[in-house]
Amino acid sequence: MEFLIVLTLLIGFFMTWGIGANDTANSMSTAVGAKAITPMQAVVIAAILEFTGSYFFGKHVTETIRKGIINPQVINNATVVIYGSLAALLSAGVWLLIASYYGLPVSTTHSIIGGIVGYGLIYAGPKIVNWHKLFYVVLSWIVSPILGGLVGFAVFWLIRYSILNTDKPFENAKKWAPFWISLAFFIVGMTFYIKTVHGKDILKAGLFGIAFATVAFLVSKIWMHVHKDSADEYRAVENIFKRVQVLTSCYVALAHGANDVANAIGPVAAVYTAIKGGLSGFMVPVPKWILAYGGIGIAVGVTTYGYRVMRTVGSRITELTNTRGFSIDFAAASVVLVASRLGLPISTTHTVVGAVVGVGLARGLNAINKGVLRDIVISWFVTVPVAAIMAAVFFKIFMHIL
Amino acid sequence: MPFWLKIFSKSPFKPMIEHGKIVKETVETLELAVVEWYKQNYDEMEKLCGRVDQLEKEADKIKESIRDSLSHRIMMPVSRNDVLLYLYYQDKIADTAQDVAKWLPLRKHKDLLPEELRKIILEMAKESIDAVRGVYDGIAQLDIVLESGFNEQEIEKEYEIIKKVEMVESKIDKYVSYILNYVFQHDDEMKYSEAIYILSLSRLLSSISDKAKDSVERIRQMLARS
Repeated sequence: MEFLIVLTLLIGFFMTWGIGANDTANSMSTAVGAKAITPMQAVVIAAILEFTGSYFFGKHVTETIRKGIINPQVINNATVVIYGSLAALLSAGVWLLIASYYGLPVSTTHSIIGGIVGYGLIYAGPKIVNWHKLFYVVLSWIVSPILGGLVGFAVFWLIRYSILNTDKPFENAKKWAPFWISLAFFIVGMTFYIKTVHGKDILKAGLFGIAFATVAFLVSKIWMHVHKDSADEYRAVENIFKRVQVLTSCYVALAHGANDVANAIGPVAAVYTAIKGGLSGFMVPVPKWILAYGGIGIAVGVTTYGYRVMRTVGSRITELTNTRGFSIDFAAASVVLVASRLGLPISTTHTVVGAVVGVGLARGLNAINKGVLRDIVISWFVTVPVAAIMAAVFFKIFMHIL
Repeated sequence: MPFWLKIFSKSPFKPMIEHGKIVKETVETLELAVVEWYKQNYDEMEKLCGRVDQLEKEADKIKESIRDSLSHRIMMPVSRNDVLLYLYYQDKIADTAQDVAKWLPLRKHKDLLPEELRKIILEMAKESIDAVRGVYDGIAQLDIVLESGFNEQEIEKEYEIIKKVEMVESKIDKYVSYILNYVFQHDDEMKYSEAIYILSLSRLLSSISDKAKDSVERIRQMLARS
């Protein structure tokens, strides 16, 4: 049993490493690419805020996946949960590694869901799978990028008409930037109330959000006291949004933590509680030290591999400006936070890609490669089946040898 | 390779400004060559013509690399076709300058053409620079228009640049008609080769501003669709 706990932690670490290496780097690359933060700063932000996001906001999603996608009542043997979760973790980790190698932004959420479905199917056949929940997952392939795209389009469109396409872009940027910052804080505030204070009252959540937003508005108003140092009006606007983007990259890390980190931690917690207390483990909340452990895994993933990815992005992408980067980040993080609050298995990566296309359709980006988009979409469709097949194989092997 | 590097393709606009800069330099060099031609410093002129040749090749290389990067899968805020056509015409400017540079030395050390015509050729070369500088300003301004998210004031500035280029073009057209008339009125005084020489030279020189006009016309198309 001790051996199993160690094995779980090792495989779980591999998975969190994968999230840090691939997923975090993907969701924070816009800020690095637009030169709002350095890769090193991105690593620090990711380590701190991914952890915060998962620790304070993440539990809800964990449970949706653990309980939702397959029916635990069918499993009457604790070892099945243990080996199954291990197999799911391992297959998701391996798939993330393969995807990272080919540079494909696949979804962590869908990898782990595929893994869980895979061992569920091999153990109990189709009846164990909660098909309508799985249908929601499939739906999110379409919904995540569309929502990301719509919000990305809208955000850039608003920036265009409130700031860029005006007589005084710089003055208007100073005026509107605090608005965007406080809107982000409004969403964070509401999520914070619902997830951490566990309030049910939506009105109170709104008030909480407004309180957050007001403080953010006042602080950012002062922070916006910048003088135009560059002759070029649009450079000056971008420089303001560079500041804003420092905050949005925190926003992205937080949202990503809330939504995706739990993917690795959930199964680890499932195994842990199954070992400690049998099948009642399904009802037990995630131990805090496992959350912390997950945070460390992500930090290591970001530092070892994600840092390299972001450094490459930072030096090679020269076209992404701060207003565009902001639009992508803001859209992605907002959609993810709101959707994860609704318990939808939304994917951060899909949302980010959708937001990129949205800003592109709003004529904000100079050259988007549609061919790459096709590859990315294909990789989304194969994620669940591939992770499921791999998990099924791993599950069979584990049941035989362990 | 992280997908960010693949999804954000290299934007063609900065390289197109680079291409425009070299095209501008080509025509500026050509103008210097025409000045030396006028002063009958033929050695200096030939050196400059060789430089025009070099610059044209340089522009060609940039053009090809931009064209290769613009596969049909690239999504842009303006029509890809217009961008490619713009590039085609901008490159044609350098091609035409190269053609002029080939014609210039053909009659060196022969009888001088009438001073009046020689002055007009000199003037046309000077005006061509204005047209091509306008093209360069136009493509640089297009980059600003894109960065500004199609700001109306910036688009207005772009239209003014385009108008200027069109004005230069019509001015040069008048020079060409003047030379045409001159040649046919003086056909008994001029040698056959002289007439061909001066007509071709003026035609080719005016073609530079024609191509400049064609280029900025593409920019107008890109913006008209916005």
